[in-house]
Amino acid sequence: MLKFTPQTVKKLRRFREIKRGYYSFLILAGIMLLSLFGEVLINNRALMVSYEGKWYFPTYADFYSGRDFGLDYSYEVNYRELKEKFEQEASDNWVLLPPIPYSAYENHAPGGTFKPMPPSVEQKHYLGTDTTSRDILARLFYGTRIALFFSLAFMAAVYVIGIAVGCAMGYFGGTFDLLFQRLIEIWSNIPFLYMVIIVFSVIPSAFSVATRIGILLAVLVLFSWTSMTYFMRTETYKEKSRDYTASARIIGASNTRIIFRHILPNVLPTLVTFMPFTIVGAITAITALDFLGFGLPPPTPSLGELLKQGTANLRTAPWIVTAAFGTLVVLLTLVTFIGEAIRESFDPKRFTTYQ
Amino acid sequence: MKNPLYLILSAGIAFLLAACNPSSDDVEPEIKRDNTQEVKQYYADNPEFFSFKTLADLPEDLTWQDGSHLPDIGSDQALKGGTEYGRLQDFPRTLRTVGPDSNGSFRPWLLDYTSVSIGHRHPDNFEYYPGLADAWAVDKKRKTVYVKLDPDARWSDGEAVTTDDFFFMFFFFQSEYIVAPWYNNWYGTQYTNITRYDDHTFSISIPDAKPDMDSRVLGLNPVPQHFYKELGDDFVDRYQWRFVPTTGPYVVRDRDIKKGRSIALTRLEDWWAKDKKFFSNRYNMDRIHLSVIRDTPKVFEAFKRGDIDQFSLNLSEYWYEKLPDDDEDVQNGYIHKSVFYNQRPRPTYGLWINTSRSILDNRDVRVGIHHATNWKIVIDKFFRGDYQRMQTSSDGYGEFTHPDLNARPFDIEKAQEHFARAGFTQRNQDGILTNDQGQKLAFTLSTGYESLKDVLTILKEEAAKAGLEYRVEVAQGTASWKKVQEKNHDIHFAAFNVGLEMYPRFWETYHSDNAYDDAFLDDGSINPDRQLKTQTNNLEALAIPEMDKMIDRYRASEDKQEMIELAHKMTELHHEHASFVPGFKQTFYRLGHWRWIRYPDFFNHKHSSSATQLFVHWIDPEVREETIKAMKEGNSFEPRINVYDRFKTNP
Repeated sequence: MLKFTPQTVKKLRRFREIKRGYYSFLILAGIMLLSLFGEVLINNRALMVSYEGKWYFPTYADFYSGRDFGLDYSYEVNYRELKEKFEQEASDNWVLLPPIPYSAYENHAPGGTFKPMPPSVEQKHYLGTDTTSRDILARLFYGTRIALFFSLAFMAAVYVIGIAVGCAMGYFGGTFDLLFQRLIEIWSNIPFLYMVIIVFSVIPSAFSVATRIGILLAVLVLFSWTSMTYFMRTETYKEKSRDYTASARIIGASNTRIIFRHILPNVLPTLVTFMPFTIVGAITAITALDFLGFGLPPPTPSLGELLKQGTANLRTAPWIVTAAFGTLVVLLTLVTFIGEAIRESFDPKRFTTYQ
Repeated sequence: MKNPLYLILSAGIAFLLAACNPSSDDVEPEIKRDNTQEVKQYYADNPEFFSFKTLADLPEDLTWQDGSHLPDIGSDQALKGGTEYGRLQDFPRTLRTVGPDSNGSFRPWLLDYTSVSIGHRHPDNFEYYPGLADAWAVDKKRKTVYVKLDPDARWSDGEAVTTDDFFFMFFFFQSEYIVAPWYNNWYGTQYTNITRYDDHTFSISIPDAKPDMDSRVLGLNPVPQHFYKELGDDFVDRYQWRFVPTTGPYVVRDRDIKKGRSIALTRLEDWWAKDKKFFSNRYNMDRIHLSVIRDTPKVFEAFKRGDIDQFSLNLSEYWYEKLPDDDEDVQNGYIHKSVFYNQRPRPTYGLWINTSRSILDNRDVRVGIHHATNWKIVIDKFFRGDYQRMQTSSDGYGEFTHPDLNARPFDIEKAQEHFARAGFTQRNQDGILTNDQGQKLAFTLSTGYESLKDVLTILKEEAAKAGLEYRVEVAQGTASWKKVQEKNHDIHFAAFNVGLEMYPRFWETYHSDNAYDDAFLDDGSINPDRQLKTQTNNLEALAIPEMDKMIDRYRASEDKQEMIELAHKMTELHHEHASFVPGFKQTFYRLGHWRWIRYPDFFNHKHSSSATQLFVHWIDPEVREETIKAMKEGNSFEPRINVYDRFKTNP
């Protein structure tokens, strides 16, 4: 059973008192939770099909071909058309579609040509379509989901490596510290953007999209963990020279125990305050890379790719850039609010104000 | 100073600096060389190829022609002067016109569109009009073309163009120094002799009296011997940023090269051909200033601001949406929109399937891919029906184009049938076909055309219906092309630009010589150790002995009718082999141009490939001032949306 120290409880309470950050946190958590079930909300696969007395749930299942529902084709059923067909036939069969019945990939051009279509409630393209008639809301939604989880994974990885290395440097000190500091200095001087570009130009595109996102994540992490070590190192140094650490060592506690039971818990508050800003950084990085064309492989939905389309069509399709830019602003603002609130609530000086 | 450490340090720094010194870009190599002797020796060593005779030896039964009956090119209303502002997608990597990296988008400005060769095809009649030549004579019997050079012809640095420059051309293109195997091959095998009669008279022989043998010779561009005196193993570096003297009107001056940013062409005041019949109405701008702007949307914005004078509206997106007919600048008559229907061989837009890859080496899979690729929806919905489906890889060559062969249509049933024959029968949870071994029917579909990447995402969505997965890969142009030249692609979307020629070429793209090193053993069977040949245009790794035989016959044939039959047969065999999915063709070009850019009343010539290719346009400074004034004062002119469909053909 997880039990917080009274201090932590106090900090959490203070976090809740800072309304702006707290509500931002709730909203963001809500979005993330929602996005986990995105397939139920925004998808071209139906939630439920009742066909000749049998029920089908295509959302998370294997694909159903047209033949499964009495159509004359063997590729994936177009559930929107199926629904219309069932309604016209007035049979007992029915289809329950998600609220937004489009996937992030399909080209749906009601006008006959592939071009950006302004937002239309009637067509259920609530934010319009992009240059190849794909639903913007769907692309934004899935793009945001990827960006959010990408940045969470990024943060976790950076922290694990950063904390481990930084802690070890601070705790063991001496030659180990000296050596690693130099290594990190050299490493952090490698221009990260070039590395990403180089690495991305050699990854065979035969890899699946998930693998390629994984590689992108690995490259980003590889060049981002270093800054974390500086904070950890100094903090550990500080804590190591405290009396309680000395006492622990006299009692005979092992290095592992001292690091994990004594030093880490005392250092963590500092780290926690950095977290939201790391996430902001990761979201910005992946969006920027996509914008430059070195991020997620096409046609993966992404905020950066939408932004790029938007800027290319500023005059003719302003809704693309508005949607993408709006999403990015909201997302980053929420995370920043949370970050400020955390920093404030973890600040030992109660009455600091941030301007 | 005596401190040893100091010495070591300074030595170290000197070493580092030397190591960092860019070897090629900025530092002029110092060794001066003179290859006159080497060149002479080369001529002497190859007496069959390089012959020296006198005017008295010139055959007397020649029929000289000079193309003077052909109509003028351009408009006599054209005004000289002004600066045209244009755009380059990438800064040229070199000013060389041969060798590595030279085949970029800047070369047309240096060579293809601006230089004067012995003769040129008339853009209306397909016949030849004189360039450097005063007259020429074609002798089918001797398989030789005789040329009398125009004594006025000059290089841009003032030197006269003489027979020597044509001799040197062969030395140059046959030499290994230039690191250009294609040129080595072409100039080494497609010509058999050059004979000098005097400074301005020579003849060039070719191995076969092809129906268009005149084009083999008349299209040649001389190479300035006096400029390449230092030719050697370091050619690539030494000549990287030196402007080669040209026979054409435009030169690049050193001070106009702003690396990475812009480059400008300047018209020669006393260009030797400025009053010649076929050139006097062309090349009208004094200066052409080209800035590097990478993104097409930015180019468009620059055009709308008037920073750039003309903008290609070939993409429907631009023609219909970004610069629609009711655009303010169009309606006010500041910007004119023009469509011109032309007639010429079409660039081969399509999917090039690398048949050396596993799974793709199965013909059924390839036929399936043909049927699973929905070009119709791309043409109808993305290009708004303006383009047409390409039927074969050699469309637009008149009789040489197969009359009734059609590309395979999008047909899911047929596609699946063929995929099933290749063992792909099961659909996985994404609806992609798999075979018994669990292999997915998935291929990388790559392209270097950033502006056409939407085409690929559309094809991907459609192909999924047939159970085929395309993994779309859009890379920067040069990087992508490099990959293809190394034959590291699965399926590549690209087009070869084709010249205005009588008949299509097959050797480059379909001969096994360009697919593998030693593709077949002597007994005709497949060489088990064969290695893919890189840096060739056989993107399909197509190697069929039957095709080789036909190509060899085609290349050797002197009978037009036989060649036509062979071309049709090869097209059929290629279709049968199903390694190229023909895409689309564009039977017109269209552009937007500011009002002060003027074109002839008939706009352009029948066989022109783009509006600016022949340089028949000009800048009217008065109209420019008038327009700028009107824009300030809010006055407008009559809107002009011009359609020139004189040469439009029915599909």
